[in-house]
Amino acid sequence: MSLALNAINLKKTYDGIPVVNGISFEIKPGECVGILGPNGAGKTTTIKMIYGQVVPSAGELLVLGLNTKNDIAQIRSRIGVVPQEDCLDTDFSALENLLLFGRYHNMDRDLAEAQAEHLLAEMKLSDFKHKRVEALSGGMKRRLAIARALIHKPQFILMDEPTTGLDPQARLWIWNYFERLKSNNTTLVLTTHYMEEAERLCDRIIMIDHGVILDHGTAKELIERHVGLEVIELEVGKEKGYWINKVEQAGLRYQEYEENLFIFFKTAESKQGFISHIQNTHYYVRAANLNDVFLKLAGYQIREKS
Amino acid sequence: MYNVWLRNFLFFRKTFIVSLFWTTLEPLMFLGAFGFGFGHYIASIEGMSFLQFYFAGLLCTTAMMVAYFESTYPNYTKLTYQKTYAAMLLTPVSTTQIFFGEMLWAATKGFLGVLGVFLVSSMFGLFNANFFVIAPVLFLLSLVFASFGMIMIAIAKNYDSFVFSTSGVIVPLSMISGTYFSLDEIPYYLKTAAYIFPLAHAVKLVRTVLYKEIGLIDIAHIAVLIVYVILFSFIGLRLFKKKLVN
Repeated sequence: MSLALNAINLKKTYDGIPVVNGISFEIKPGECVGILGPNGAGKTTTIKMIYGQVVPSAGELLVLGLNTKNDIAQIRSRIGVVPQEDCLDTDFSALENLLLFGRYHNMDRDLAEAQAEHLLAEMKLSDFKHKRVEALSGGMKRRLAIARALIHKPQFILMDEPTTGLDPQARLWIWNYFERLKSNNTTLVLTTHYMEEAERLCDRIIMIDHGVILDHGTAKELIERHVGLEVIELEVGKEKGYWINKVEQAGLRYQEYEENLFIFFKTAESKQGFISHIQNTHYYVRAANLNDVFLKLAGYQIREKS
Repeated sequence: MYNVWLRNFLFFRKTFIVSLFWTTLEPLMFLGAFGFGFGHYIASIEGMSFLQFYFAGLLCTTAMMVAYFESTYPNYTKLTYQKTYAAMLLTPVSTTQIFFGEMLWAATKGFLGVLGVFLVSSMFGLFNANFFVIAPVLFLLSLVFASFGMIMIAIAKNYDSFVFSTSGVIVPLSMISGTYFSLDEIPYYLKTAAYIFPLAHAVKLVRTVLYKEIGLIDIAHIAVLIVYVILFSFIGLRLFKKKLVN
């Protein structure tokens, strides 16, 4: 089976500064892969290289077996892209936006119209199809941008932060829709800051930071590998030194964060054993999640928006 | 390229009455003030009435102005705030197709402006059948300034940047290119300077075709305009590509 995407030692530098610094990964047809990383990690640059808005400084990038260097128009005709900013055409209505994209894709007019109406209905936008884009809410614009990416029925969809800035209802609705696309064997590649989204949707996750891949695997694999099963968040306050000593003696993995200590447990038994030692200190037990992995790999410091 | 042109046409179709009204109003006011008003005091110039003399120049400045403004302000918005070009690049449409589609549209708009001015002026006795002979040259002139505008959007830092090209190039050209006065009656070096730029060539040719006998030498004016289109689109395309894809 040929690959949906094959990135080989991909690099992008701006004025000598590497933004993407030699990443390689493969995506199989029908897979849903999430690219995760803090702001400035190189996610958007990677996505933009796939659809040709950014030209790699080095490396090879094959999309659906075609090289981005020579066949970018053909690649674009076969993939659907939801960019980070919607880039909807504000001079036109919702329906006209879809029809324009049908034209840019050289679609037959009748086919484009049928597909546009179908997508507007799917996206619950039929009642707003004649409204100008500016009159639509943020969630509606996002749905319209997704519909626009699907107008030519691509089998490969790229989405850069598809649910950023949306309310929980809109997000839930979009997740459900993506799950339907997945069941149709559509290849999905998305970037996100929402770990819940990645955990729920993605078959595989690629964690990147400073332009390199930190780790990749299923959410479960990553959590088990880097964190374990459960986490105790202990409010240690001034007694941090005491607790770190204790945790290290017990041979447990942990992470300091301000006046808290996050202690990672591989088994429920080890967690129970540790809890029996806690007295007069406030603590909170929860399941380990992708967020722990993300913070552990990318660090706990605030990033400047690049 | 056609689809890029069509996008603009479809938008124009929504507002064309208002758009054409304002596009033709300004040149017609100039025609009233200078052609009919000021021209009343001038007996003849280059063997014709000042109204006729100025009318030929006005058709050319209209083509220049409308094409230039159409390819700068709206296109800069599409390039930056509206991100229309970024959206087009999510599809098989290429940067080259966007560039030439936009250039062609701006020239179309310039030509529509010329047509509007010609139609209204015809009602005031300025109808001239030779206009249809010279129409392709006016379209070619629109292409020159549409491509010039495309260069400007690729190097502009913000909207204020267009003040330089408008006040530094477009407005001076409309003054010195033989629109208001005859280039035959000014010092040789000034005349030569005027003919470095494309507008003077178009004005000369349009005026000759409308009111005089055309000679073989006049074909050279067309060649100059073609050279400008090629030169400007070559430079513009390179800059435009750099701006859109990195």
